[in-house]
Amino acid sequence: MDGRKRGDLEACRGCCHKVTPGKTSAGADHAPVAPAIVCKGLWKVFGDKGSQHLSSALGQEEADTEAVAASLIDRGLIPAVRNATFDVHASEIFVIMGLSGSGKSTLVRCLSRLLESTSGSVHLGGEDLLQASPKRLIELRRTKLGMVFQHFGLFPHMNVADNVAFPLKMQGQGKNERLQRAHEVVKLVGLEGREDAYPRELSGGQRQRVGIARSLAADPEVWFLDEPFSALDPLIRRQLQDEFLDIQARLKKSIVFITHDIAEALKLADRIAIMRDGNIIQIGTPTEIVLNPVDDYVREFSRDVAKGRHATVASIMKTNGKLPTLNKSGPALNLGMTLDDALASCVSTYKPVPVVDGEGKVRGAVDPADLTAALQVDHS
Amino acid sequence: MTPESMTPASMTKGTLAALIALATGALCWALSSTIPALGNWPDAWTLPAVSWIGAGAEWLIDLLKPAGRLVALVLGYPMEWARMLFVSTPWPLLIGLVTALGWHLGGWRMVALGALGLGFVVSTGYWTESMNTLSLVAVSVPLALLAGGGIGIAANEFPRLKSAVQSVLDVMQTIPTFAYLTPLLVLFGFGPVVGLIASAIYAAPPMARNVILGLERVEPEIREAAIMSGGTRFQQLFEVEIPSAAQQIFVGVNQCLMAALSMVIIAAVIGGFNDIGWEVLLTMRKAQFGQALLAGFVIVVFAIVIDRMSGVLAEPRRHFDSRITYTLMAIAFLATAITWGRLPDPATYDLFGSTADFVDSTLGAFTAANGAMLDSVKNGAMFYFLLPLRIGLDDSVLTFTWGFDWTKSMTAGWFILAFAVGGWLAWRGHRVVGLMVIIAAGILQTGVSQLPWPFVLVGIGVLGWVSGGRKLALTVSFMLIAIFLMGLWERALLSLYLSGAAVFACAVLGGAVGLLCAVNRTAWRVVQPICDMLQTIPLFVFLIPVLMFFQIGEFSAFLAIIAYAIVPMIRYTRHGLTTTPDEMVEAAISSGATGWQIMREVRFPYALPTILLGLNQTILFAFAMLVIAALIGTTGLGQSIYLALGKADVGLGIAAGIAMAILAMIADRLVQGFADEQRKALGLKT
Repeated sequence: MDGRKRGDLEACRGCCHKVTPGKTSAGADHAPVAPAIVCKGLWKVFGDKGSQHLSSALGQEEADTEAVAASLIDRGLIPAVRNATFDVHASEIFVIMGLSGSGKSTLVRCLSRLLESTSGSVHLGGEDLLQASPKRLIELRRTKLGMVFQHFGLFPHMNVADNVAFPLKMQGQGKNERLQRAHEVVKLVGLEGREDAYPRELSGGQRQRVGIARSLAADPEVWFLDEPFSALDPLIRRQLQDEFLDIQARLKKSIVFITHDIAEALKLADRIAIMRDGNIIQIGTPTEIVLNPVDDYVREFSRDVAKGRHATVASIMKTNGKLPTLNKSGPALNLGMTLDDALASCVSTYKPVPVVDGEGKVRGAVDPADLTAALQVDHS
Repeated sequence: MTPESMTPASMTKGTLAALIALATGALCWALSSTIPALGNWPDAWTLPAVSWIGAGAEWLIDLLKPAGRLVALVLGYPMEWARMLFVSTPWPLLIGLVTALGWHLGGWRMVALGALGLGFVVSTGYWTESMNTLSLVAVSVPLALLAGGGIGIAANEFPRLKSAVQSVLDVMQTIPTFAYLTPLLVLFGFGPVVGLIASAIYAAPPMARNVILGLERVEPEIREAAIMSGGTRFQQLFEVEIPSAAQQIFVGVNQCLMAALSMVIIAAVIGGFNDIGWEVLLTMRKAQFGQALLAGFVIVVFAIVIDRMSGVLAEPRRHFDSRITYTLMAIAFLATAITWGRLPDPATYDLFGSTADFVDSTLGAFTAANGAMLDSVKNGAMFYFLLPLRIGLDDSVLTFTWGFDWTKSMTAGWFILAFAVGGWLAWRGHRVVGLMVIIAAGILQTGVSQLPWPFVLVGIGVLGWVSGGRKLALTVSFMLIAIFLMGLWERALLSLYLSGAAVFACAVLGGAVGLLCAVNRTAWRVVQPICDMLQTIPLFVFLIPVLMFFQIGEFSAFLAIIAYAIVPMIRYTRHGLTTTPDEMVEAAISSGATGWQIMREVRFPYALPTILLGLNQTILFAFAMLVIAALIGTTGLGQSIYLALGKADVGLGIAAGIAMAILAMIADRLVQGFADEQRKALGLKT
């Protein structure tokens, strides 16, 4: 797969003029109400007797994550997630971004307890998910958690409606009731009329819509998405990303979204956590990630990303000293505007500039505003 | 040739192994006159294992006997009910219902298959016998499905059980069919219940295996989706995992049905149930080959109908108009009602009686006219291939067979020739091949059945070492020593010789046919249905045609084994050679390779692991058939198992069965080891 090319294409999507719906709810300086998920000191160690080795290593190394991990590796174990600590705010899209092998999929499986964590806690509204009894866990999954998978994980022997209604069936809902709810969700993801189709009869994009619908059927509070769009081709992916944002604008779930694609992360995220070798190395808003990368690894990620498309005016404006007065006819910028948009607005105040040929003769004129407009990528 | 043999300077594993084997062989040969214990395994060294096993098994059986007899009694009821049901159901009704089922499963093709197939069965007059057989299958299959399914699910739920279950299933598959019968006969008493239970035991492993495989192959994300939907373990298993694995499980159902049918027919040797297998056996013994062939065809027709109809289940489901299903059922009932009480006893139908007689007389005429030709084919194969292989050139080359006697100087000349060829090959860089040529010359000179035991032990040991390392070497050596200790070594060598000869013939012939089918589509179009057919036919039926032409004896057994065991070799060879990844072939073409160069340099090396798996299957098939072939006169372990059945000698039956299974397992491990090695070398497996 040509990740970079795809990244470029996706990056173009970042220059939208409208402010994406998901981003309005929580910003960098927007104080969160109560976090939906609180993950603390989460470790996942693969190998024999991982938890014994981990606790002994934690005892020795006095909580220095790197030293603990090194000691575990020396013992022949694999620390796939190392001391992950973060909050996910209510109604926030929290994107975990990393390359393959960075531990991001393991992390989301620890959060959903598809894998048992070696140590740490994951609090969900005051309740530690990792301590939940098997029975309670089933209940939580039936009512509070939803998950979307990279390869969809659809049940091949059920049609769309039955797939979507499956979580409700697990709860013991009656057939009519659950199929009615399934119909609503199928409509939400734009698959109305395909209820009787089987997964094998659907395209990749349609299948993932079914996956999304199924994960939403029980109206969960927390929504895990494990690289939901990675298996789709670029155009479909872009379309589903937009629809995902629309759905989120309406439903306001608390979301953990896994991706390996920086452009996707920047486009969708309220906040991004970047993972490398099992560590979360930076958590921040897309602007912070692009403008203030914490190290070269993160910088390398955002190298191909045009900063003007992601950084907002707020991140570079001066608030001290003498501020200019507002001129009704002149340009003014909004806090949420991207740098590219801001540049276009400023440039529009300049006069047209003559264009000359080799002999110094004027052949025409270019308006600076047209120049920037031509450089903008169409948003349709 | 192994890749190692390319490096000239150092001694490779393969060369070393071949040298060790050669040295052992030479030593045994040189010392055999002074130390006779180096030839045959001395009787004094054997443990009375056969009688121990017999005593142990009999003690156990005595302990279990009341329970066994009770089970036999209890199972007798459903068996009798099923028999009543099948035999007393008027044939128009049964054929109509099968036809309706055929439509429901697979449309017009299955309708035609069901109607024509069962129509044929009715018209042969073997209806009652067939229904007796079918009623046994109808009771044993649900038992096997339940047991196999239960075992499969248990193995899936408790990972600790899994490897144990899988090795038990492996062993069960290598134990020859007849070996099951003797202890069961003693345990459950004489009668058809033994056939029923044997067939249920024999048919359960394929079901268990496929259930395990199917559940293993459920995509992890589908499992996870079921978990995240909040399903309990029970809901996950029965609502998601088992339905997702349905196709693989239906493959198991299909194999289970076929195994049950095959075993029920083999179990007919116990007799006493007036079933179709017994009919074949009886007519064969009376040399009524026309009738035997007809009864054999009835079995084949049943096998094909059952196989194809249940095979449809393992394919993606298509829906056929249920109105036609109901119409067909209505017609069946209507026809039954109209003909009620007017149809004569189906046993009196004899549409093909004259054909059978005609076949008999034609066959008689043919064998009378071409007897000399058939004899010369048989004698040629015996004198120039089978006998030398069995007892060695020095004993088999006589004036009577070859026209001259083998002399000491010929032996010397033979070895000089072998060393010359081997030395030349080694000089050209093929050292392992060169050494193998010398070893092969030695084996041919001595004869497989007279090989000194230290040579076989060391030879198998080093083969294990080359193919799978020290652990495999130890495993196969210990298994071999077990046969020595049981005192079954001579018989095992006889079995080894016959199956070895058949496997060799299968490998050469099957490989050639597979290659032909790989390069020529038309050839495959002809060969494919033949392969399908051969694979569907129950083992037993293979004996009929070879008996017709070549009478009882080793050569007939040899042919029957080849006919049954050649199919996997053909299939896997062709499959391996035709499934080379396109880009590899394209790379070869763009490097300017010709068709044959691509075959030799690209397709063949890539196909080798697949071809080796085919060889592995062929070996296992050959061992399975070897025991059946004991019915028409072979020596060795198969014969012992068959004799034990006649005498109800549990010890000998089990011991010979185990020895047979050990031989099969050794061959299986060795070939799998080489296949794995090759796959690793190709980067297909890490």
